[in-house]
Amino acid sequence: MTKVISFMGRVLLEGRAKGEALVSRRAFTFAHGVEPSTGVVTDLRSDLSGENVREKVLFFPFGKGSTTGAAWFLETVRLGNGPAAVLTQTAEPMIVTGAILGEMLYGRKIPVMTDFPPTMAEILRTGDPVTVETKRREVMVSREG
Amino acid sequence: MSGRSNDMYLTREQERILSGERGAAKELAMTILAKVGEALGADSLVPIKSAHVLAHYSSLHEAGIEVLEKFSSSGGRFAVPTTVDPASVDLENWKSFGIPEEYAEKQFRLCTAFAKLGGIPCWSCAQYQVCNFPKAGETVAWAESNSVVFANSLIGCRTNKITSGLDIACAIMGMTPRFGMLLDENRVAQVAFRSAIDRPTDLDYRSLGYYIGRHSGSRVPVLDGLPKKVSSDELKHLGAAAAAGGPVTMIHYVGITPGSGSLKSASGGERVETFDVGRKELDEVESDLNQSEEKPDLVALGVPHLSVYELGQLAKFLEGKKLKGGTRMYAYTSSQAYDLLERTGVKREIERSGARLTHSTDAEISPLKRLGFEVVMTNSAKLAEIVSSEGAVKIRYKPVAEIVEEVTS
Repeated sequence: MTKVISFMGRVLLEGRAKGEALVSRRAFTFAHGVEPSTGVVTDLRSDLSGENVREKVLFFPFGKGSTTGAAWFLETVRLGNGPAAVLTQTAEPMIVTGAILGEMLYGRKIPVMTDFPPTMAEILRTGDPVTVETKRREVMVSREG
Repeated sequence: MSGRSNDMYLTREQERILSGERGAAKELAMTILAKVGEALGADSLVPIKSAHVLAHYSSLHEAGIEVLEKFSSSGGRFAVPTTVDPASVDLENWKSFGIPEEYAEKQFRLCTAFAKLGGIPCWSCAQYQVCNFPKAGETVAWAESNSVVFANSLIGCRTNKITSGLDIACAIMGMTPRFGMLLDENRVAQVAFRSAIDRPTDLDYRSLGYYIGRHSGSRVPVLDGLPKKVSSDELKHLGAAAAAGGPVTMIHYVGITPGSGSLKSASGGERVETFDVGRKELDEVESDLNQSEEKPDLVALGVPHLSVYELGQLAKFLEGKKLKGGTRMYAYTSSQAYDLLERTGVKREIERSGARLTHSTDAEISPLKRLGFEVVMTNSAKLAEIVSSEGAVKIRYKPVAEIVEEVTS
């Protein structure tokens, strides 16, 4: 039986998205951390090192690193390797700015949500099928079992 | 229902700008400010005294060139004094550092756009030491994480960590969304660090900063126990390391930061989680950032940029010494400091050892790998963090005295 677990958060950028979850439990950055031409996480200090953010529902608790984060995010989006959605526990202005510019310049809509309950980091796992629906401020996770 | 937390207040004039009545550049800038501000829960836009923006190719990439040129080609002009972070190449001597022409060309496009927008071409990540110094209480919009920590913690002005794209928009409009570190309630310390390091070295200050960055999470830290004689240069490096290790935008330095006379006053009287930082913790940071014992092919000093005073100290360290073969040493600074050191003869003293002074660029944003460097030795925790997280180049993280001892004879 498929169980659906739902998390409520605050909407930073609207939209809907479906994809596999890619879950980091550490601070995350696109700046020097994701290769824009591939979408691969290159940050050796990230627990997602070697994974690809492309079309994933990316979750991490909070951001870190260089203020150029929005530029790296934007270049990743420009090259078609951006995530499907970004979910955080603390609002990350670099992601928000990068996603806004990505929509303005390249017409890609990437929903961004934040302020999820702390339990989400423990429950959500990489590979979970996730639906993001900002109209309902909700993220739904399907789980077999 | 949109699910948005709030709508940001815009004045009638701001609405006009948003609808394009004041030209395309302002319309674009206002659109970015309004959207980012609304997304981040800002209630309004507030005026700023200065801006500091990013325009280096290695991070901005093609998309960033596109953004800057979009502003500069549609009649954009900065509305407030606007300085700029280092470029990806030494803007004067790039050829002699082996930078490929096609790479430099990309950087020059950013330089041209920045000049057209009316920026102050200081190309420094320590702009507050050369040409952009607000006074306490003022609001600014600065990119560059180390500058943000310096502004909030030492100058006593207010800024968020303004990311690229938003930075240009703030500079063009002379305003910034009011949220985050612009609000009193977000500037209260929520985690404390007590340091008891006897006679800290240059590396200790950086390791301490990095430790704070690693353990603060998204909380504002307060730091007690610094030696009375700590210099603003040392705090520059401490803050830079903290911002490299985590999302730190301010550190309450007890007895130094305006309004932070004690641990208690910094945290608004609340009890907060407290970390004691001693030799053991600093050694852990050191072994974490130090990834190699191999012979370095580059020693990189100055992330962030070294001041005139620090370079004078370096000249003393290098007096009578010669770099051993196979290792280069670059010291990074602003073009203003470079000119001053040239005139005072300090540049010649440094270069007599075989080291080179380089300006308007910095190690972490220059193409180290492309230039063939494989092992880089530094006392910068920020450089170590960025380079080691990329994995392309190995880092040796050591105090400057040990570095000079090892690479010179």
